[in-house]
Amino acid sequence: MHPGLKDGNMSTLKLSFKVNGKLTSLAVAPNALLVDVLREDLGLTGTKAGCREGECGACTVLLDGEPVNSCLLPAMKAAGREVTTIEGLVQEDGTLHALQQSFTDQGASQCGFCTPAMILNAKALLDKAPHPDEGQIRQALSGVLCRCTGYRKIVQAVQNIAQGK
Amino acid sequence: MFDKTDDKKEAKVLTKEKIDLQRLAREGQAALTVAGTSVRRVDDPLKVTGKLKYGADYPAEGFLHGKILRSPHPHARIKSINIKKAQELEGVAAVLLAKDVPGRNGFGAIIPDQPVICGDKVRFVGDGVALVAAESEKIAHQALSLIEVEYEPLPAVFDPREAMAEGAPKIHEKGNLLSYDKLIKGDVAAGFAQAEVIIERTYQVPFLEHAYIEPDMVMAIPQPDGTMLVEGPMQAPFTTRRNVAPVLGLPINKVRCRQIHMGGGFGGKEDSPIDIGCRAAVLAWHTKRPVRLALEREEITLQTAKRHPMIMEVKIGAKKDGTLTAFQGVIYDEQGAYASLGPRIPPAGGSHVHSMVMMAGPYEIPNVKVDAYLAYTNHPYGGAMRGFGAPQVHIAHEQVLDELATELGLSPLEIRRKNAFKLGSTTATGQVLNQSVGLRDTLEACAKAFEWDRRYKQTGYLDAQRSKRRGVGIGMGWYRTSIGTGFDGCGANVYVHEDGSVLLYSGITEMGQGAFTVLPQICAEELGVRLEDVRLVTPDTDLVPESGPTVGSRSTTLMGNAIIMAARQVKESLLETASMMLMVPVERLESKDRKIFDRDHPEKSLAFREAAARCMATGKRLIGQGWWTPPPASLDGHTGQGNPYFVYTYSTHMAQVVVDVETGEVDIEKYVAAFDVGKAINPRALEGQIEGGVGMGLGYALMEEVVITDGLIQNTSLQNYLIPTTLDVPDIQPVILEVKNEFGPYGAKGIGEMPNIPATPAILNAITNACGGRVRSLPADPEAVFWAIREAGGPPKE
Amino acid sequence: MAHAFEKLHWSRELEFGQYLTPGSLDDALQMLADGKGQARVIAGGTDVIPELRRRHLKASILVDITRLPELRGITQEGEDIVLGGLVTHAQAPASALIRERAGLLAQGCAAVGSPQIRNLGTLAGNLISGQPAADASIPLLALDARVTIASLEGEREVPLKEFFLDVGKTVLDSTREVLTRIRFRALGPDQGGCYLRLSKRKALCLPMLVCAVQVTADPQAKVIKEAAIALGPVAPVPFREVRTEESLRGAAASRQVIAQAAENASAWCSPRDSLLRGSCDYRQEMVKVFVRRGLTKALEQAGCTLD
Repeated sequence: MHPGLKDGNMSTLKLSFKVNGKLTSLAVAPNALLVDVLREDLGLTGTKAGCREGECGACTVLLDGEPVNSCLLPAMKAAGREVTTIEGLVQEDGTLHALQQSFTDQGASQCGFCTPAMILNAKALLDKAPHPDEGQIRQALSGVLCRCTGYRKIVQAVQNIAQGK
Repeated sequence: MFDKTDDKKEAKVLTKEKIDLQRLAREGQAALTVAGTSVRRVDDPLKVTGKLKYGADYPAEGFLHGKILRSPHPHARIKSINIKKAQELEGVAAVLLAKDVPGRNGFGAIIPDQPVICGDKVRFVGDGVALVAAESEKIAHQALSLIEVEYEPLPAVFDPREAMAEGAPKIHEKGNLLSYDKLIKGDVAAGFAQAEVIIERTYQVPFLEHAYIEPDMVMAIPQPDGTMLVEGPMQAPFTTRRNVAPVLGLPINKVRCRQIHMGGGFGGKEDSPIDIGCRAAVLAWHTKRPVRLALEREEITLQTAKRHPMIMEVKIGAKKDGTLTAFQGVIYDEQGAYASLGPRIPPAGGSHVHSMVMMAGPYEIPNVKVDAYLAYTNHPYGGAMRGFGAPQVHIAHEQVLDELATELGLSPLEIRRKNAFKLGSTTATGQVLNQSVGLRDTLEACAKAFEWDRRYKQTGYLDAQRSKRRGVGIGMGWYRTSIGTGFDGCGANVYVHEDGSVLLYSGITEMGQGAFTVLPQICAEELGVRLEDVRLVTPDTDLVPESGPTVGSRSTTLMGNAIIMAARQVKESLLETASMMLMVPVERLESKDRKIFDRDHPEKSLAFREAAARCMATGKRLIGQGWWTPPPASLDGHTGQGNPYFVYTYSTHMAQVVVDVETGEVDIEKYVAAFDVGKAINPRALEGQIEGGVGMGLGYALMEEVVITDGLIQNTSLQNYLIPTTLDVPDIQPVILEVKNEFGPYGAKGIGEMPNIPATPAILNAITNACGGRVRSLPADPEAVFWAIREAGGPPKE
Repeated sequence: MAHAFEKLHWSRELEFGQYLTPGSLDDALQMLADGKGQARVIAGGTDVIPELRRRHLKASILVDITRLPELRGITQEGEDIVLGGLVTHAQAPASALIRERAGLLAQGCAAVGSPQIRNLGTLAGNLISGQPAADASIPLLALDARVTIASLEGEREVPLKEFFLDVGKTVLDSTREVLTRIRFRALGPDQGGCYLRLSKRKALCLPMLVCAVQVTADPQAKVIKEAAIALGPVAPVPFREVRTEESLRGAAASRQVIAQAAENASAWCSPRDSLLRGSCDYRQEMVKVFVRRGLTKALEQAGCTLD
């Protein structure tokens, strides 16, 4: 039998990864999903669970800089990698990330449940393409559902950064 | 083209209202400093950083996990239930049946006709037949699977007309017709006799899901003194309390409901917290432990209220010049298994009556008759959803008006110009609109911003292959502020402290609409302090005065007034004290921006906090309580005549779409929505309401539909219950007009629901204008549009 | 009329007990073999995780192959393009080679789910899910792709035409095999491709119809040399409209011929009635439109503009 296989019930696995720049190590159940590890074990509740099947996008985090649905991600997939959540965008002195400030200025948040995911998707876009047009912005945000805003102010908040406003 | 005399008549009315508009604008700029400005939302810093805690963000340690066993039958008698295996599962704390409900085994926003736990029979797929609490969510789920229920299936009925027919399976003891309401104005027979053109159409709309992104959850926490604390996202903590108390057999004062910030509600979280709140409370009562009951996305769709589906038969008559002479409507409104917010609360409450009142649209029609039937079926149930019975009937009257206009050879704009409400118009209920009627202003402002005349002329094919055709459409609408019941009161407390800081106590909940910003804005404005000086105490039935539910576009207006009243009580103390300190008569004093000063000699001033400190030191009242009730609602039970709601918000939307006439796909290119809101307290937040409401209305038009087969919802997840994405919603251009509401704070009226309502018919009308086909049974998804084009004999030739 | 427990009750807890992360393909295959049918491959997880949550899929061991270096990369081997088994729906359209020499595949991948899902989900997974209208599978089928499947017994190469068996079922057994490579011929200058999709909304949406077309033409003679037309869902598996393809071999590249081909394709395929994604009648009509549009665009790309 392969050494990785164990008899009996679940034994925990050790997950070591970088979360918001900090090396983090903890024991997780083999069937744990990243969204639950972040929210329940690490207290990073800015990452939301809205549908648990990758449709609403509220659970979006950045995995090595790329947006992914943390509800679809077995936690062990994050081993050795870097995860960024909304909590990781605020600077240590409390200064908001430009996108967070822009969302506030623009009134892009209503109920706020999708806001962290929207901001993270926007960040991933701007990190790659600093000056996207409206179409690119809408495309980049198309994996996060918002039922409140009609998306206009969210798109504008990202546009303002893209246009250096 | 336009009739000259008519043009003038319109111009006259417009001018009068435009003068009002200007005066208001001047007053607003001169007088207001906090209200009327686009301040940033108070809760934004928490939202953009992920720090704001929603219900699910509170740790679950120490909680039992509640789950509900749901009926697999749409209609069945429960013959026996065996819970032994479930009880024996390790980690299970309680398995409860109907007999275990300590008090009343029923809940409901209007009638408590829904069992907390079904005892004798089940009425829809999803009805709760047993409750489980266990140490983990997994164990609770497993326990459900171990409960054995023996059912005797009963014949089920899934159509409101069939449910009303003789011999239909009886869903509730009193019969399936839950409510029959009628409205009679003038004489429709005579009206149709005068008409030169009459058309009749039937429109149909499906169940809709709110699809708020935050899933429902609730925590019931027994308190040492026997009080039950119920916490969670909830739009109506007082309604929840009013249900949990009798279910537990407790007096109202022994149940405490506390709102946790909501991730969207849209009317849905008026009902669902009652449902899961009662159930979690019963589990907590039995186990004497805190219970957490969270629904997975699919369970929300299965279990909670929806927007009512309707079949609407409409007949409309007009003179050749477009003057409407008569309107007749029949509404078959499907309630589903339980009453929820459907039936009438006298005089004009409940979604069904609201549909009836609104059905003829915001148009002057001398003769109107509406028969409205609300019937139980074995489907999930209809409740409140952004517009409360109004979106459905707007889909009927806005489409039939366009169909009539086509028949008459008039443009959609002309027929609306001719018939739209103006100041002094009489509604279908005989209500004379004697103030704040900006409907025509919205029509003209929208037409201007949209460039209607140019776009209307430029409709046609985009390509040589004639596969894509452009069209434009209008949707007009009106919506009440308030709920038309006898108990529409709203209370607020304002406490000023000796350092000038303020606590505002309000029971209006925050679900994203911005109440926690707008209400403090009004408080700060009235007291003369800055927004940051006011801290809002969030809704907690133990702390804040009864405010009614956060529904019906009532919050800003009703609570705003209550806040102003409360603030004025305190201000009286402050100004009297300041008057003595400054030796200036009270009438000359003004309080603005933390300063109290002599209006005639502004240099004579003192700090707000100095006056507050003096009040405190001298025992003056620094606590105010406001209670505001709208002018009384009336609606005759036999004729549907009366003044059901005291003021209305008005709106016109215009959409430009491109239809792929070969596939039926629709693309929205341009969208303008104009509103008469009375007064915008926070224009940016108001724009947000508009943009979001339009997005939701677009979903209703193009893609949303709860699909049910044999009573079971087929699209319970967000994978197949589709709501619009960033790529579906166009760049919406909002236009805000302010025709002062005499009864509103600074002239404001409600806006929460209005934007959602005309959006759907505006898009449907534009689709028809583009492709020639009309979808009369929603949604207008590609297939529906495709067949509509076929039915119309193919796409337009040019 | 009693509906199933699983359709009415949901749990967030996934029912698997072991999560293994092999470092090499051999390790992975050994783990699968040791699992004796209880282990299952997981790559992006965008299908596996929701299916486990819905209890449609049962597995007690998941073998995560995303760390296997031998399954990465997009390369060109002669005129062939080779995709590693871990290439995601985001990586494929990001590759200039794919965009320029297999544009229909780039478009198909870009239509999958959302940006986040595309960052996770692999093309191999799209194939293995065996869904009749999968957005990457349909263009790959039109491209005559072949896949390499590895097991402890060795490797085998299977043309996609023989890969799909039924809805959700392929020749690959995920409890003991791994899809390691996807190979197809890059489009040449006399070739063109097109991918078309019909859905109820513009993102995050399963399609009502997907159509991918590949043509080889003689632009001078205005003749269609070869045509490949893949469609879904018009059958239980991703479908090649072979009869129409044969009728087009050597046919004139004219609007009339294409219109006839579209009519034929529509008549020959039988999509099922779906409550959520369109009736049979409608989808047959759409096959007509899509085959016509697809052939027209593909021919244009091959240098053959129709009059």
